Amino acid sequence: MMDLTLNEKRLLSVLGSGGRSSPEECASRLGTTVDAVIQHAHLLHERGLAVMDTAIEHHYHLTPEGKEYAAKGLPERQLLESIKGSVELATLSRNPLAPIAIGWMKRKGWVTIQKGMVTPTGKAPRGEDEEALLHPEQGGPGMPQLLKRGLATEEMVTTYTIAITREGTTYLSGGVDLTEEVGTLTRDLIVSGRWREVKLRRYRVETLPRRVFTGKSHPYHRLLDEMRQILLHMGFTEIYGDIVQSSYWNFDALFQPQDHPAREMQDTFYLDRFQPLPSGWEKVQETHICGGTTSSTGWGGTWSPRKAEQCVLRTHTTCHSIQHLARHPDPPVKVFTIGRVYRREAIDPTHLPEFEQLEGIVMDEGVNFRHLLGFLKEFYERMGFANVRFRPGYFPYTEPSVEPEVWVKGLGWVELGGAGIFREEVTEPFGIRHPVLAWGLGVSRLAMLKMGLHDLRQLYRSDVDWVREVPVYGSPRKGGD
Amino acid sequence: MPVITLPYRYLEELVGSDRATILARLPMFGADIERTENDHADVEFFANRPDLYSTEGVARALRGFMGIETGLPTYPVKRSGITFTVDPGLKNIRPYLGSAVIRNVSLDEESIVSLMGLQEALHWAVGRGRGKVAIGIHNLDPIIPPFHYLAADPSRSFIPLDFTRPMTLREILEEHPKGREYAHLVKDFPRYPLIVDAHNQVLSFPPIINGELTRVTTATRNLLLDTTGTDLRAVMTAVNIICTAFAEAGATIESVTIDDVEVPSLAPSTRRISTAACTNLLGLSLTGEEIASHLRSMRYGATASGTDEVVVQIPCYRADIMHDWDIYEDVAIAYGYERIVPALPPTSTIGSEHPVSRLLNAVRSIMTGLGSLEMMPFTLTNERVLFTSLQRERDPGVLPLMHPISEEHTVVRTAILPLLLEELTLNVHRALPQRLFAVGDVVEECVTHQTVAAVSMHSEANFSELYATMDALCRDLSLSYQVAVSEDPAFIEGRRGDILVNGKRAGVFGEIHPSVLLAFGLEQPVAALELDLRAVPGYPGRQDTP
Repeated sequence: MMDLTLNEKRLLSVLGSGGRSSPEECASRLGTTVDAVIQHAHLLHERGLAVMDTAIEHHYHLTPEGKEYAAKGLPERQLLESIKGSVELATLSRNPLAPIAIGWMKRKGWVTIQKGMVTPTGKAPRGEDEEALLHPEQGGPGMPQLLKRGLATEEMVTTYTIAITREGTTYLSGGVDLTEEVGTLTRDLIVSGRWREVKLRRYRVETLPRRVFTGKSHPYHRLLDEMRQILLHMGFTEIYGDIVQSSYWNFDALFQPQDHPAREMQDTFYLDRFQPLPSGWEKVQETHICGGTTSSTGWGGTWSPRKAEQCVLRTHTTCHSIQHLARHPDPPVKVFTIGRVYRREAIDPTHLPEFEQLEGIVMDEGVNFRHLLGFLKEFYERMGFANVRFRPGYFPYTEPSVEPEVWVKGLGWVELGGAGIFREEVTEPFGIRHPVLAWGLGVSRLAMLKMGLHDLRQLYRSDVDWVREVPVYGSPRKGGD
Repeated sequence: MPVITLPYRYLEELVGSDRATILARLPMFGADIERTENDHADVEFFANRPDLYSTEGVARALRGFMGIETGLPTYPVKRSGITFTVDPGLKNIRPYLGSAVIRNVSLDEESIVSLMGLQEALHWAVGRGRGKVAIGIHNLDPIIPPFHYLAADPSRSFIPLDFTRPMTLREILEEHPKGREYAHLVKDFPRYPLIVDAHNQVLSFPPIINGELTRVTTATRNLLLDTTGTDLRAVMTAVNIICTAFAEAGATIESVTIDDVEVPSLAPSTRRISTAACTNLLGLSLTGEEIASHLRSMRYGATASGTDEVVVQIPCYRADIMHDWDIYEDVAIAYGYERIVPALPPTSTIGSEHPVSRLLNAVRSIMTGLGSLEMMPFTLTNERVLFTSLQRERDPGVLPLMHPISEEHTVVRTAILPLLLEELTLNVHRALPQRLFAVGDVVEECVTHQTVAAVSMHSEANFSELYATMDALCRDLSLSYQVAVSEDPAFIEGRRGDILVNGKRAGVFGEIHPSVLLAFGLEQPVAALELDLRAVPGYPGRQDTP
C-alpha cells in the first residue's frame, strides 16, 4: 500500500472514480489554494495515481490607449471621418491625431496624397484590427497588429486539468482513511493526549536534506593532532618553545659550523636582536674549533660568540630538543614537538617560507641505530605507511644519519623526513652521556600525500568550502554516493 | 646539494660494471638519482662528500661498495722540483696556498666541462662560495717556475680569461663578470692576491679569475693546480680531491715545494676505532674483522687489531671524517641499511601532552562547538596587513625580518585577527554566514605567546553575536572578565569592547569598522574578537615541559 499524505488522499477522493476536474474546483471543494492543489496533484502524478494535463491559453487585454480607441475609433478612422472631400495636408496636419493617423490612412489605402492635397479614396472598410479592438477576448487575426501598436497586451495562462488514472481509481476503491493530519507535534498535543487521535503528516524521506556545516577544526590540524596522539601513545612527552631563537640554540649547539651555507642570510630569517649566551657556551666553542673532549677534529677556524647571539626565526624544531636535553641530561628522555619553522624560500606550490615540523628524540642508556629505525618504522606504520625503507642520509648534526622513505602508490618511494643519532660534538658539551636518537619530519609534505593536495598554500590560506567538505573521520566522500 | 652528471660510458669503464647494476646500487650508497637520460644520469650527492663530485670519485667509491676493488687507494706522488713562495703580506688577506703538478692529462671537451663542474661544486661545498677556498687550474707549459703568491697592488694588470685586453685588478672587480660576482671577497683589502711566475707573468687573481695565458684546452697535457684560501684544512682538501680524481683518470701527480713544505702528500691519516663502541652505537653484532672488511669496501685501509680495535687508514680525499662515529656510519652503509633489522628500545616512559597544546585544543573544542571553522593562517605577514589596514598603531613589539624575501612577509604576526580577515577576503565568493577562528602563536619582541581570534561575516553579524561568543569562550576557559568601552580603531565606535581580566586588557571584540572592511575588500558586516590566552588562569607559560 502506498503511503499517501492526507492532502493527496483528499484530492484523490474529490476527483472520485474516473473523475477529472480543474484545480480551481478542487481547491474550492477542499477549502485550500490552487497552488496547494497543483502541488498535491504533482505528487499524485509521480505516484501514477493521477495525471495532470496542462493547456496554455492566451488572454488579451486592451491598454488604456486601446480602450480609448475602442470607444472612439482608431485615430486614422477618427481623422478620416473629419475630412469632407479634399483637404490641404498642411491644414490636416494641425489636427492632434495627424502624426499617427495620416500615415495609417495612407498605408491602409483610405486616402491619396498628391501635391499637398489629401483626398479620401472612398474605400475604407472596417479592418481586422478594428474588429479585434472591439472584441479583444476573441484574439482575432487583427490582434497581432494591435499588440505591435501597443494597444493591447497578451497574457499566457496555464490551465490544468487533473484526471484520476486507473491506478488511482483502484486505490480509491480500496477505501481511503481521511483522518486529520497535523504537521507539527506540539507541546499541547503531547500533554493533552490528543497525539493519540491525530495523525502526524508523513514526510517524503527520500527528499535530499538541506546542507548544513559543522564547526570544525582545520583538516591540517587534525592530521597534526593524529601525529601528536601517535607519539603520546608511544610514550613521548610533548615540548613547546619559542619561534625566535638565538643562532646559538638554532645552529651552534647543533654543531652547525658558523660558515655553513644554511646559516647564510639567503636561507635563514635573521632578526636585529641578540640574546646572551647561556653559561657553558665555551664548551660549544671549543668543540667547534677542535672537537673539545670528543674524538672529533672540530671545524677548525674561529667561532664568534657574537654570531651565536644573533636571533633567527627557528629553522627547525631541533633547537627545542637540544635545549631540553641541556636541561635534562639524565636518561631516559623521550620528547617531541610540532611547530612552525622558517626558511627563506620564495613561495611556490611546493615551497613556503614557513611550515610545520615534527621532531622527536629518544635518549637512553644503550639505545642504538637499530632502535632509531624501529621508532621510525613504528611511527610511519601508525601513520598508514605499511612499507618503510631506510637509506643513508646526511644531516650536519647527526651521525649516522638516515633518510626514511615510504612507499606511496603511484609515486614510488617518497622521502619523508630525516633522522640520525646526535653527533657526540652536539651532546658532549651539554654533558649528555648516552646516544640521542632524533628524527624530524616536514609535516606539510606528509599533508600533501595524505590529503592529495597539489599546492601547500591551501593549508594556510584555505578555501572555506574545502575545510567544510573534508570529513572529520575517514576519507572524502561525494554527497549522494 | 650538488647534482653531478655521470656519463654512463665513462662511468661503466671506470667502475667495471654495467649502468643498470650501478643505478640500482647508488641509492643505498647515499645518493639521489635526479634523472636518467640516454647517455648519462644526474645524481645528487651529499654536502659532506665533495670527493664524490666527479665521475672518477664516484667510480672509486662504487668499486668498493660493489665489491669490485676494495681497500685504500694509493696515489704515488713524485717531486716536481717546482717551488712556490707565499708573500707574508697575505697573512690577513688570504694566507693559505695549496698546489700540485698534474702531468699526462688527456682532456676532451667533455672532460673539460666535467672538470669545471667539479671545480664549481668544490667552490660551493668546500670553498663556501670561494671565500674559504678558491681553485685555479692552469696549463703548466707556458709558464716558468718558481711561482709566487703575492699581495699585489690593485693597479697591477693582466689579461683575464675571456678578455683580450689587459685590465687592472681594480678594473676586473668592476667590469669582469666574475670580478663583479666575487668582488666582495677582496675589495676591502689594500692589496689583492695574485699568482705570478718567474717572469712576472700573471697566472691568476684568486679568488676571482685566472689569466688568459694559462687557459686549459684540449691540447693541454700538464697542469698546475693552485688553491688559495682562509682555512688550511679546506685548502688541502680541495687539492687532495682534485689530484686523486685526476690520478683515477690516469694522470700522474707531482708535489710542489711551498715555503719548504712538499705538497700534496696524498697520504692517508690513521684512526683507531673501538669495535665495541661501533657495534653498540649501530646495534649490530660485528667482529673487528667484519668491521674492517666493511670499511675496506668503503675504500678505507682497515685491519682488526687486538680484541677491541680496528686500525683505520682514512683516504686523503675524505674531508668528512671528523669523528669516530663518521667511520661507524660507513660501516653501517657498507653493511647495508636495508639489512639492519629495526627494533624498539626497552626504554619505558609515559607520554604527556604539553599544557599549551591542551589549552589550544580546549579553545578549538569551544570554538568548533560554537559552530566556528578553524583556519591556520601564516605567521609571517606585513605591517600593512597587521596595522595600516586595521587603522591600528604600529605595535612596538613587532619583529621585522632583516632580509625579507617578499613584501608580503616582512614581520612575524603580533595578532591573528588581521590574518583571519585576509582569509575572509579569500573566501568572499563562498556561502555566508562564515564563522572562522584561528588559534596559535604570535610573537612580540622575542617572546612567543598564543591568542585566539574569531570572525563572523554575514548580513546580520553584529556586536551581540560576538559578545555572546566571547562570553561562552571565556566561561568555558574559566576566565572571569569585565567589558569596558574600547578605543580600538579597527572596530566601530560605540560597538567595540575591551575584554578586561583582573583590570588588564586581554582582548577586544566588536563590529569591524567599514574602512577596515573595505581595506580587506569585504562588503558584508564582520564582527570579530581576539583574546590573549596568557589571561587564562593557569596559563602554562614558556616552559618547554610540564
